[in-house]
Amino acid sequence: MTVVEGMPATVTLRRNFWRGVGRVMRRKPSRMVGVGIVVLFVFMGIFGPLLYPDPLPRDDNALYASPSWAHPFGTDFEGTDVLALVVTGTRYVLLAGLTTAVITVALGTAIGLLAGFHRGRWDTVLMRLTDLQLTIPGLPLLLVLSTVWKFTSPVEMGVVLGLLGWGGIARAVRSQSLSLRERGFIEAAKGLGLSTRHIIGRELLPSMAPYIAMNMLIAVTGAIYAQVGLFFLGVLPFDANNWGVMLNLSVFGGGALSSTAALPYLLAPLLAILLLTLGIVLVVDAMDEIFNPRLREE
Amino acid sequence: MTRTSAPGVRIDDLTVVYKTPAGELPALGGVSLSLAPGTITGIVGESGSGKSTLALSLLNAVQPPGRISGGTVEIDGLGNVVDLQGEELRRARGRQVGYVFQAAQNSLNPLKTVGKQLLDLGRSHDFDDLPALLKDARALLGRMGLDGGRVLDSYQHELSGGMRQRVGIMFALVLNAHLVVLDEPTTALDMITQASILRIVRDVHHERGLTTLIITHDMGVAAEVTDSLAVMYGGRVVEHGPTTEVLGAPRHPYTQGLIRAIPRLSGDIDEARALPGRPPTLGTIPKQGCVFRERCPIRIAVCDTVDPVPVTRDARTVACHAVGQPATPVTPKEFA
Amino acid sequence: MITASGIVKTYKQRGNMLGARAVPALRGVDFAIPRGGAVTFIGESGCGKTTLGRIVAGLETYDAGEIVIDGTPMSSLKPRHREPFFRRIQLIHQDPYSALNPTRTIHQTLAAPLALRAKQTGRDKAWMEQRAAELLALVGIDPGYVLPRYPHQLSGGMRQRVVIARALTVDPEVLVADESVSMIDVSLRLGVLSLLKDLRERLNVSVLFITHDIATARYIGGDGELYVIYRGQVVESGPTESVISGPIHPYTQSLLSAIPVLHGVERPGPERVVPTEALDESHADSGCLFARRCPFATDICTAEPPALVPDGDQAHACHHPRRRSVIPVEAVA
Repeated sequence: MTVVEGMPATVTLRRNFWRGVGRVMRRKPSRMVGVGIVVLFVFMGIFGPLLYPDPLPRDDNALYASPSWAHPFGTDFEGTDVLALVVTGTRYVLLAGLTTAVITVALGTAIGLLAGFHRGRWDTVLMRLTDLQLTIPGLPLLLVLSTVWKFTSPVEMGVVLGLLGWGGIARAVRSQSLSLRERGFIEAAKGLGLSTRHIIGRELLPSMAPYIAMNMLIAVTGAIYAQVGLFFLGVLPFDANNWGVMLNLSVFGGGALSSTAALPYLLAPLLAILLLTLGIVLVVDAMDEIFNPRLREE
Repeated sequence: MTRTSAPGVRIDDLTVVYKTPAGELPALGGVSLSLAPGTITGIVGESGSGKSTLALSLLNAVQPPGRISGGTVEIDGLGNVVDLQGEELRRARGRQVGYVFQAAQNSLNPLKTVGKQLLDLGRSHDFDDLPALLKDARALLGRMGLDGGRVLDSYQHELSGGMRQRVGIMFALVLNAHLVVLDEPTTALDMITQASILRIVRDVHHERGLTTLIITHDMGVAAEVTDSLAVMYGGRVVEHGPTTEVLGAPRHPYTQGLIRAIPRLSGDIDEARALPGRPPTLGTIPKQGCVFRERCPIRIAVCDTVDPVPVTRDARTVACHAVGQPATPVTPKEFA
Repeated sequence: MITASGIVKTYKQRGNMLGARAVPALRGVDFAIPRGGAVTFIGESGCGKTTLGRIVAGLETYDAGEIVIDGTPMSSLKPRHREPFFRRIQLIHQDPYSALNPTRTIHQTLAAPLALRAKQTGRDKAWMEQRAAELLALVGIDPGYVLPRYPHQLSGGMRQRVVIARALTVDPEVLVADESVSMIDVSLRLGVLSLLKDLRERLNVSVLFITHDIATARYIGGDGELYVIYRGQVVESGPTESVISGPIHPYTQSLLSAIPVLHGVERPGPERVVPTEALDESHADSGCLFARRCPFATDICTAEPPALVPDGDQAHACHHPRRRSVIPVEAVA
């Protein structure tokens, strides 16, 4: 690694970081597969709805059609293409999942860091707050909430799930920072008189980055399960196009569990969930190496 | 207790390589070394010198990604250890070769008492007479100044660092091994504890008639207890000979530099000089030529291309082009 | 100039149901660190020397006693106002591997405290860059090589030099070096030690050297004061060379006797002292703390604690003081 003359060190650093990320990803084929899957879903989430007309066309002559070239996963009860439903449903699922992940990680990390770094009174107050959050029963609360709130926007969904899920991360981050604050470099930073903001933001946080990134990705999968589950249970109104809605209709409307006609309609969203989860899990494997300079460079 | 004589050990052209992304790199590059029966030999080297790898090779216990790729390790009564495998090898460890691990202070099982672990050891080596084993252990611990009964009933956390080290030595000796390898026996111990452990090592060595090998980074530790001293650098033994002679009149420039770099309690303290440069790691050991040449004050042209062969004269072995043949001094003109 | 008097620190060990057990780490320690001087604390692990270093560096509180920094007693200040004083005292950690943040390059590591310094003194970014390079050159490493690198790419000796350079960013008056070379390769140790020695002369920095290895103390602070600590108490003090060549307290004598002899170069000292081993871990706190291990102890030793009394230029706390010659002697070739 050499610093190119006349270029700010930070630019070089950033470029080296991304080059390192590429190297880490190429190290195992499974990671590349994971990246491929995640990129595919993100693409579907962003451009999916643009590929199909809105509303999706119905074909009354082909209700619950079997898979064919025109309809790779068959059609639903209205004769709409199942693949199109899966693709257009991705945006809601991903957006809600991402919102949840951002909120849980941001809240959890901030609270965990503050509590772990400051100890004392801060710690006590924040941890009691965390305990409180952890004791809130999520599902019953959501059931109650859904009676008054329609969750038509994925961001609303994500916010609610996020506010219900940061406790675990806060605890984990707190215990991590408790052990990190005893390390020599944190003590040295304190001894040099560096600001608390610097110590938390620049010294503690990067050391926990792999951990936080992993939690974030896992939170995405958790959020996907949660919202799909809610829609599947029929708790939420069917205003939105969502994989969970498809599951619900296929099982309770199409009888996918007892007859084969609606089976592709059931399997398509399941496959999507499975594939997305697999993709994320394969990527999580690389986080440790990405954020650890030693593992990244070698 | 059956008395068998102390075994001799002959290591010949031993090569150990580690598999890395950059290919197979040699941690030991053709080491030849003999341990005379009944002596204490010290191996001194810095991190990356290959001293611990050498110690593991005595048990054929080099772990992947490392492997012994060539050479032999002959131990009296065992034969060539490099050829031993499976069950045979397991039995040799402990029965014939006792090993006190690096950081032995932390190598006890925290969930079992010392006595329980001793019984486990006895059973795994098919000892029928377990009470006798316990008796031996108590006697050994008593010899080292501990209350044997109490120690056997203790858990790891109830013992101090020095006591744990003694327990480690007891484990190495209790199966009646006559070749004992101690890897950094006094690291992380206090000065006074270190002195008493070294005294114990020396006394037990003589009383039980052992062949002992001590691996250390500390010249002082080796100086205090060993009869003969081997200095390792970059996976090679660069100097070997009787301890007092090697210390009193070191021949290899590395040994000389190392001794000069020790601050001492008497004499002019400002005579201590730092060694320039830094020791090589596995990846930076030069592929050809002398491994020490980068830091060498008496380097000559041939050092860049030819790895010096260890030359033995008057029981002293030195691997250096510049001091190999002191009878025919190097004419500077020839290499200018 | 820093003076400390009667420093007491007691740790509360979480005990059983009957309550916490108090573990005394320091039992009233007095010392002074003159400007540009060297002070060494020597003792075995658990004797309280590390705690003392951390207290001096402001990383730990003390229960009783007073630290006066440049004439200002610390007890007269609020904790917030003590910080600038303690910033002049920088601790060099024992472990150069954990003392540097593995996720930050050396450039980033040095830039943070330098930015703070630049803000305080109204300097610009160019000064920071220049100062970083200057400090690295001062500690004997090539800035061009080290600055863009991460800690894991450097050897132990280099890392410890970077740690020292980082401490120097705030222009400290005192460096507290706690076993600063024990984790570095032997051939590189003396280099770091001579750097510390060098800094004393070139920057007029004082060094508080904490170690169990008296020979390194002699190398860095041969002209300074040596304090021998046993179980939280100073048992002997005096000019380093005097204490080494003529130790009075049996504990100092035991420590010096325990140093390995380089056979072939040295002969063992004529009056080496070997302490009796205290197998019982529960220590009685009455009388002399060393009495149980002392080969010269008599009845008075277990009954009455000896006070630290001056004796020539040394001071000792012993009922039976006697100078003994214990260190190895140069073997005549």
